[in-house]
Amino acid sequence: MSKDADIIVIGGGIIGCSAAYYLSKLGKKVLVLEREDITKGSAGATDGVVGYHTKKPGHQMDLAVQSIAMFDHLSEELGMDIEYGLRCGGMQPAEDKMQWDILSEIVEEQKKSGVDIHMISIEEARQIEPQLAPDLYGALYSPTGGKVNPIRMTMAYFRAAKRLGAVFQTETEVTGMLMEGNRVLGVRTDKGTYRADAVVNACGSWASFTAKMAGIDMPIKPRKGQLIVTEPIGPFMDCTLQCARYNVIKFRPEVIRDPNVLKMGASLSIEQTESGGLIIGSTRELVGYDRENTLEAIETILKRAVRFFPALKDVCFIRAFAGLRPYTPDGLPIIGRVDALDGFYMAAGHEGDGIALAPITGKLLAEQIVYGKESYSLEPFSPNRFM
Amino acid sequence: MEDIIICRCQEVTRQDILDAIADGATTVDGVKRRTRAGMGLCQGKTCERLVARMIAEQTGRPLSEIVPPKSRIPVRPVKIGIIGGEQDE
Repeated sequence: MSKDADIIVIGGGIIGCSAAYYLSKLGKKVLVLEREDITKGSAGATDGVVGYHTKKPGHQMDLAVQSIAMFDHLSEELGMDIEYGLRCGGMQPAEDKMQWDILSEIVEEQKKSGVDIHMISIEEARQIEPQLAPDLYGALYSPTGGKVNPIRMTMAYFRAAKRLGAVFQTETEVTGMLMEGNRVLGVRTDKGTYRADAVVNACGSWASFTAKMAGIDMPIKPRKGQLIVTEPIGPFMDCTLQCARYNVIKFRPEVIRDPNVLKMGASLSIEQTESGGLIIGSTRELVGYDRENTLEAIETILKRAVRFFPALKDVCFIRAFAGLRPYTPDGLPIIGRVDALDGFYMAAGHEGDGIALAPITGKLLAEQIVYGKESYSLEPFSPNRFM
Repeated sequence: MEDIIICRCQEVTRQDILDAIADGATTVDGVKRRTRAGMGLCQGKTCERLVARMIAEQTGRPLSEIVPPKSRIPVRPVKIGIIGGEQDE
């Protein structure tokens, strides 16, 4: 039976577009099938933090170090400005000694990956970000992190892949797998069937449904993050900044006592974009596929914004939005071949790190598919850990 | 004609929108993600109908089938201090 492509990538988000680009670069004929439109899902509903300090120490941090290095020349390579703020820095101010102590412990672990992350006094923090409230306790600082426009980055991968011959078919929903025993031969969609040597599941928060079509369970759940955009203002801040609670919720949720904070996972994450608007988030809510905003969350986020940046009270916000981060039980993405199925690969479950980890995910996955072995081991992220 | 501004807030021209439709956008949000049309202060209140009409013209789809942008909080710009409170309180 003739095939329609060498490789079918399901999902036109940041991970699918990155995989399509690196596979095309290695000479493969790629067909991307997207249910709605490129960057319609989470890649178009997030902020652009490309930082080290929000990464889980260990394997995820090591992967982030390699991925973030790829950002340096990404605009050039893809032929489109992705608005990458090189080394704008990342900061996490702590409100009290308890937060400071927890951050200091996490920093010691994170440093083992060879990244410059250290603790600074509030006076030093205010020299870097003068708008910060003076009554904070101190801050974590990571001078080499960056920020990007995630929509432009996804579009840049999409267009660069297209130039290399990849075909993108939008408004095409995958409804099932074409299988022969344990071998995946292609996919069924609402527009017909397509055959290929390999199929990549890059469906983000929806990846568990696609995996199920191939007969496997992947424990990926949607975790809602609500964000707010302000009117464009003059230069206000350079760093991407999260309050210390962001890392505390992410890595030490057991020390949080307030049940409301735990339920919404609300912490501050704020950055100024190239167009001058600020993106302010965020929550981490396990509430299914609901993408609505809630007044409760917006109020909580904006209160934290004013707590850290008092001058923001006179700035207008113009929109709220929400995106679904693909959550996995161990906090690590799921990347690579599924041993139990021939020709089926996973590239999903990056939760809030999909933008930062997209370059390395696409590159290593493409190497694994094309050469059989990737240049840096994806073993810690293998889907087989859940099989 | 092609340099007419369709989205005033973000200064997006008719040509930019035609390019976005050629790039695969079939919804108002699809045009928005490609051009920033509708991302400014007025959040598309003026341009979204113009964009929808252009998509219909270019793709041959009926205007009634062009998916309008999602409506989100707030209806108009609101000062953060009104909801986020004064720091001194």
